[in-house]
Amino acid sequence: MTSFFARIEASGIATTISQSVPLNGVLSGLHLVGLTLLVGSVLVSSLRLFGVVLPHEPVAEVTRAARRGIVLGLAISVASGLLLLSPRISRASANYIFQLKMLLLCAAAAFHFAIYRNAARGTGRTWLPPWVAGTLGLMLWSAVVLAGAAFILIE
Amino acid sequence: MAATILHACGWIEQTPLGVFVRESQYGFLVLVAIHIAGLALSAGTVVWFDLRLLGVSMRGVPAPAVYRQLMPWFFAGFLVMFVSGGTLLSGFATAAYGNAYFRVKVSALLLAGVNALVYHLVTARRVARMDGAATLPWPARAAGLLSIAAWTIVILAGRMISYTLYSH
Repeated sequence: MTSFFARIEASGIATTISQSVPLNGVLSGLHLVGLTLLVGSVLVSSLRLFGVVLPHEPVAEVTRAARRGIVLGLAISVASGLLLLSPRISRASANYIFQLKMLLLCAAAAFHFAIYRNAARGTGRTWLPPWVAGTLGLMLWSAVVLAGAAFILIE
Repeated sequence: MAATILHACGWIEQTPLGVFVRESQYGFLVLVAIHIAGLALSAGTVVWFDLRLLGVSMRGVPAPAVYRQLMPWFFAGFLVMFVSGGTLLSGFATAAYGNAYFRVKVSALLLAGVNALVYHLVTARRVARMDGAATLPWPARAAGLLSIAAWTIVILAGRMISYTLYSH
């Protein structure tokens, strides 16, 4: 794993990123755009699952685009995050807060695709009540964001 | 005018709050984290109203209903973003005044504000008369598109400020 990370850090793209402040800024901005889309999408669909926003509208009507927003926001965040980390991936991966963030990210993504997505379709074909799925989804993604903020503070 | 603004910036930086932001070991970073959380909450919720105006999401839900339900969350996030951003600014007001990305961010925020004002004073009445139509008139769609563009610029310029302004 160490040699794999060393190869990433020595790659042309990682070297280019490490030497360019504007490129770091753009990638960091895209990371935040992805995070904003993800947070907003999770919040809107979870609040509908709680019955807090638009309670009289069908769940699927409110959450259809938000489900795509979650996946798109996640894709933008992960891609830009990997590029941002590429020049210092060895050091970051040794950080326990970063490890926690990655663990929570995997848990949140797995929960989204295995359970949350079905609950947000509003078809009733899920073993968790919608409000429980909404609560767990919101908690997991909030934990990912908090761990990300903690990583910035510790690093 | 510029001299007056710079003088005011210098005064703000010397207040106890400005000194705290500059010299505190973790205060600055905690404020940045809070600012980003507020931004994610405000921009993350307003984008769903913008997408409704564009006809991309919640086409079966009347736009005024989407507005009424999501705006409290937007304003809560905006308040957090505004207060934390103002506090951060107190530590670096002079440098921020001369920073191009800061000017772009403030201009984009003003654009988002003017766009929202025009929508509410002019377009919203027309939308309300349409009784929940899925596709809204072009001024409403334009307002949604402009809002998404303005908030994207706010986010991108905001991150560039972190890379060009602060010495932390």
